[in-house]
Amino acid sequence: MQEAMKIYFELNGEQRYVEIEPGESLLSLLRRLGMKSVKSGCETGDCGACTVLLNGRAVRSCTTFAAQVRGKRVTTLEGLGDVDDPHPLQEAFVEAGAVQCGFCTPGMILVAYELLSKNGAPTPQEVRAAISGNLCRCTGYVKIVDAVLLAAQWKREGKWR
Amino acid sequence: MRLKIKRFHYARDVEEALSLLSAYRGRGAILAGGLDLARSFNPKLEGLIDISGLGLSYVHEQDGGLRIGATTTLTEVLESRAAREYLGGFLAEVVGQVANPPLRNQATFGGAVASAHPWADLPTALVAVGAEVRWVDQEGEHRARVEELWQGEFRRLLSSAVITEIFLPPWEGAFAFGKLSRNVGDIALLNCACGLGIEDGKVAWARVALGATPRRGRRLLWLEDLLTGEAPGEELWQVVREQVEANVEVGADRRASAAWRRAAAGPLLARTLARAAEKATARQR
Repeated sequence: MQEAMKIYFELNGEQRYVEIEPGESLLSLLRRLGMKSVKSGCETGDCGACTVLLNGRAVRSCTTFAAQVRGKRVTTLEGLGDVDDPHPLQEAFVEAGAVQCGFCTPGMILVAYELLSKNGAPTPQEVRAAISGNLCRCTGYVKIVDAVLLAAQWKREGKWR
Repeated sequence: MRLKIKRFHYARDVEEALSLLSAYRGRGAILAGGLDLARSFNPKLEGLIDISGLGLSYVHEQDGGLRIGATTTLTEVLESRAAREYLGGFLAEVVGQVANPPLRNQATFGGAVASAHPWADLPTALVAVGAEVRWVDQEGEHRARVEELWQGEFRRLLSSAVITEIFLPPWEGAFAFGKLSRNVGDIALLNCACGLGIEDGKVAWARVALGATPRRGRRLLWLEDLLTGEAPGEELWQVVREQVEANVEVGADRRASAAWRRAAAGPLLARTLARAAEKATARQR
């Protein structure tokens, strides 16, 4: 018999107090909470579609137990921006034509967000290294690299938040 | 998740973690990053004991060596100045080739020692530098060189223990790491870590480990003997290529054939030894 437990954590800037199963994945919890940008891909940590930021670091939510985020800060793509008020990184992906089917896009944007938070002027090679763990099933990597470089340029120009 | 976990615990100290482990009688597991556990199929597991709050995330320099806390993530190792400077950047060279940034944000140094996947990069490097694992169980504190630990029934041993720290000793020479994989970030088809000390233009000591053979990294003592006393250079590397192809023990798995590994091991080792020799010579200047 699994014993349900309760944890508190910060999700996209809001404190949440939720009931979870002890062996539940963070991916499952976030989907339950309506965070549909977090995609269920391989569920083995290989594809990167379920990437979220945990205390500002990109991690796979499918290989993270929900219980591990107790007291921590989780950011999904919904926490960066939306259609009405997109984050500059989201705008850069649209501007560069980096979105095809869109399944990998949330994960790509979040690993790029972590990269740009540490390195404001990445080289194309550094961008490729940062996104190397995220698979694009449309194989459209060139435009994704372009989008991250464009976002980096906007950040240097002060178009950021 | 494939596990049917009944309870998740947040240990407040090592003693509590050990007490919980003991109470589960083999049906509990220590969790640090959780990466391997989340992918585990173990139907016996009922309880997870999270040790990420025990203050075991640190990298400290000690007399030229490094003390790395068990729950330190690979990203934290890469961001540590002490780790980046250890052996002229050798550790950073290895860790930077493990998987990709999100997985390095989650994978821990202690987890890498506990899992010790045969194809993994860190075990090969840790064997080469003679790293020491420190752990605690109900009987007290223990320590052992990784190559000795992994030769025994370490999974049974560690199933009732908490790894606290890994110590990487200082070396006067230089080390280099080599890896062959299908693409950047993929697991190794073959990897090696080579350390050389150069004195008066000759190899004073050598430490050579070959991993993903497909077995876990092991030292090639016969190759270390062959190198010692010789002058590093193309002539010696050619001997390495020939002797490795003739003598290396490799096998096949679903990733690569034994014939491919036999053919690839010599060039990989020769290339990595050449880099280690270059670094060791530069350090002397």
